[in-house]
Amino acid sequence: MIDDCERCELLLQPYLDRELDESERAEAEAHLDLCSYCRRRYVFEEKLRMYVRQSVVEPMPPELKERLAALRIAL
Amino acid sequence: MSETSPQEARRIATEARDRVRFEEDALALADQVYRVARHLVGSREEAEDLMQETYARAFRSWRSFTPGTNLRAWLLRILTNLNIDRGRRVQRSPDVQSLEAGDYFLADKLEQTGGPIGEEERVDQRLSQDDIVAALAAVPHDFRDVVVLVDIGDFSYQDAAQILDVPVGTVMSRLHRGRRILKKQLAEEAVGTT
Repeated sequence: MIDDCERCELLLQPYLDRELDESERAEAEAHLDLCSYCRRRYVFEEKLRMYVRQSVVEPMPPELKERLAALRIAL
Repeated sequence: MSETSPQEARRIATEARDRVRFEEDALALADQVYRVARHLVGSREEAEDLMQETYARAFRSWRSFTPGTNLRAWLLRILTNLNIDRGRRVQRSPDVQSLEAGDYFLADKLEQTGGPIGEEERVDQRLSQDDIVAALAAVPHDFRDVVVLVDIGDFSYQDAAQILDVPVGTVMSRLHRGRRILKKQLAEEAVGTT
C-alpha cells in the first residue's frame, strides 16, 4: 500500500480544494475507502483546515473602530 | 463669486452620498479586515497601525473603488501593499526540511507522540489556538499572506492573486508550500520536535 499511500498524500490537498479532475478524484476516493491510515489523515486534514479557519485572535478593539471612523474626511 | 449651477449642485450631492455609502460599507467590513490583518502581522499594535493606514488611504482614494466589486478584497489589497511598503517584512526563506516534509507530516508526528488520530478525535484536543497563531506567525510572509487570505480570509485563488498582484499559479504554489510550512511549525509548537 506504500506507493498508493504516497500517491494519496499527493492528491489529498487538491482533493480537499476540489481541484482534482474526475479520474483523480475517483482514484483518491477509492484509496480512502480502503486505507484507514490515509482516511485518518483525510479526516485530520479536513478538521485542521476548519480549525485554522476558525483560529481566533482577539476581536478588533472597539476604540480602533472609533479611530477608523474618525479618519473619514469631513464633507 | 460664481454661483453653483443646479447640475453641479446635484453632482456634488450625489458624490457626497456615494462617499458616505462607501465609508459606511468599508467600516462595516473592518472586523473582517482586522481579522486578516492580525494574522498577517506579528502583533496587535502592528495590526492596529496597519488598519489605520489602510482606512486613511481607502477614504482618500474611494473614487478608485468600482462599486459592485469586492470591497473587502479592495481594502485588503491596500493593506497588503502597505504591509510590504512598511519594509518591516524580514523575508526568510523556508527551510528545505519544511518543504520536503510531506502533507502527512503533522498527522504522523501527532500519532507517533499521542497515539492514533481517531476519526472522532477533535483536532483541538491536540492543538491549541495559541499553537495555530504562533505557527502562522512563524511562516515566512510570502507564504503566510496566501495561507491567511485563502484559508482564513476565505478568498478564492483568483481574489488572492488580485490582492497580492501575483499570478494564480503563484498563489497555488505558495499555498501548497505555505500549508506544509504551517504544519511543520505546528509540529514544532505542539510536539516540540521536528
